[in-house]
Amino acid sequence: MTSQDFVLRAVNLDGGYVIGSSEKELRFVHAVRNVSLNLNYNEILGIAGESGCGKSTLAKILYGAVDPPLVLRRGSIYLHTSEGRIVDITKLDKEDLAKRIWWREISYIPQNSMNVLNPMKRIRDTIIETFKFHGIEISKDEVTKYVRDLFDFVGLPTDVLNAYPHQLSGGMRQRVVITLAMMLNPRIIIADEPTTAVDVVTQLNILTFLREYQNSKKSSIVIISHDMGVHAYMDTAIAIMYAGSIVEYGKSEEVFQEPLHPYTKMLMSSLIVRGDKGLKRGIPGSPPDLRNPPSGCKFHPRCPFAMDICRKEEPPIIEISKNRFVTCWLYAKR
Amino acid sequence: MNNTDTLLHINNVTKLFGYGLLGLRKFRALNNVSLTMPIEPEILVIVGETGSGKSTLLKIILRMLVPDYGTVLYKGKNIFKMKSSEVRWYRQEVQAVFQDPFETFNPLRPVVDYLNDTLKYLLKVRNASERKTLIDQTLRFVGLSLEKVDGKRSNEFSGGELQRISIARALLSRPKLLLADEPVSMLDASLRVDILNILKDVKENLKTSIIYVTHDILTAYYVGDRIAVLYRGDLVELGPITKVYNEPLHPYTQLLLSSVLEPSLDIRKKVKPLKRSTIELKEFLLQGCKFAMRCPYATKKCYETPPPEIKINGRAVRCWLYAT
Repeated sequence: MTSQDFVLRAVNLDGGYVIGSSEKELRFVHAVRNVSLNLNYNEILGIAGESGCGKSTLAKILYGAVDPPLVLRRGSIYLHTSEGRIVDITKLDKEDLAKRIWWREISYIPQNSMNVLNPMKRIRDTIIETFKFHGIEISKDEVTKYVRDLFDFVGLPTDVLNAYPHQLSGGMRQRVVITLAMMLNPRIIIADEPTTAVDVVTQLNILTFLREYQNSKKSSIVIISHDMGVHAYMDTAIAIMYAGSIVEYGKSEEVFQEPLHPYTKMLMSSLIVRGDKGLKRGIPGSPPDLRNPPSGCKFHPRCPFAMDICRKEEPPIIEISKNRFVTCWLYAKR
Repeated sequence: MNNTDTLLHINNVTKLFGYGLLGLRKFRALNNVSLTMPIEPEILVIVGETGSGKSTLLKIILRMLVPDYGTVLYKGKNIFKMKSSEVRWYRQEVQAVFQDPFETFNPLRPVVDYLNDTLKYLLKVRNASERKTLIDQTLRFVGLSLEKVDGKRSNEFSGGELQRISIARALLSRPKLLLADEPVSMLDASLRVDILNILKDVKENLKTSIIYVTHDILTAYYVGDRIAVLYRGDLVELGPITKVYNEPLHPYTQLLLSSVLEPSLDIRKKVKPLKRSTIELKEFLLQGCKFAMRCPYATKKCYETPPPEIKINGRAVRCWLYAT
């Protein structure tokens, strides 16, 4: 793969949380296992998985926000900057990241982003402060001019600038945070469950906005969600996570039309669509506890095709065709 | 109202909540809502976004809130004018399952105690071995057993298992009406559909009616027989679920249904969003139709006069578009 293709490339990321109160009792929760990913220029990459599968942890690591108890044990993240250089953001210190990379190159929309605004500050002041932090002085009137287009795009009236966060609904606050994340024109946006706490009408507005914005700026988005409907609507490519590993990756048409991994297959067939009242079945069992995961393939206790080797050894990543990967013993040539 | 042909009759219920500094100004969290459930078992879905009044309605049916106007009759009896013996009977007949299974159970108490308590105090089952049999029976109905549950606390179960236990507890008294408030919204997609299948089973095999409250249009379609759509305290549309989904009448129902992101690739071509947001309280205080500020068909009349309930082929809709 040439360096032109990717904007962000993660290689063999491995990390998790160190928990425990005393030195002796320290335990490691292995939340991200050997994950490699490419985010290409002008694409929306979806990361799907159930709660506790490590998708939010992966998002934090990709953003470079590795703070204790989260630790990154191995791996590199190469960022193709707007100046055309390639930097490994795991090697940068916090100050460098904050001044040069965050907001300018990569923005992060955290989960429950509606609650991140300072309740004591008007929206206008929050925006001015963000600019100031990145070395841009802007006056109160200029703010209105600057954000008008963005606000128009997300469907917010400009009066919002003078409001305190509590005066806005959840969906409006979420849009304010998204506007903030886009203000400095980042090339990469990492959005962690951007629409979980809002109703379906607002959800569609926010997602459509993200998609149109991505399309007009030719930027790249990583979208993390448990909701397969969101992925169907948004994704160019999709990675399915289970218990810390990516079990399947491919163009979203391919994954939706012909899922390969047993987990993806069962997940897809458990989804409800309109016009079909026929009986559906969920996946038996429940997702594993990452503190104490099963041996071998982490899905084997719930998998109807589990073989001996699945219980003993972790499955390899198998390339089925170009840019189509599955991590499952069923597809291994032996 | 004849007490043999209706299970639940909600009659023009209005609930006021205060707002502002002292809460002296009031808005209508529920506005003149009427609903009837037949005695034959059915699953009625109540759909609405946050602030639609769906939880308020549920709390009124559970006798946790008293409406400011209107009455609620259960099998012909006004539930707010019951003697204490009737209240006990009502508690047996009407049971509830809540949204967050981890908050339902005290983490310091074995979960089986909750089932035991229900039998002991609500149903007065004195014999311990009889209680065990009943608990085991009910747990088996939801796909568990006493053996799997006995002695364990809530942190030893997954969300899906806890929700099953929660349903089992509610079913112990053989209720005629089960209220389920977003029972699957906290669960993972792979476990969701199994809980919904249990609800279907409860209706089919135990002949228990269910009110399923949700904001999730797709799960609503999967389990529901009839649907009631709430918007800012108004019941805007009511009818058989397939009819409403195939041909929504109220502009809000149309917007809601067209916004659903189905997990299939066709979705990309289908949807076109509406870009307008409004301040919630302003909508609640509208004199006329609460949806007027967002409605593409709104006229002056919509802002000024509340729309009447219009009946069309066994369905009901509150919208001036259909008034003749």
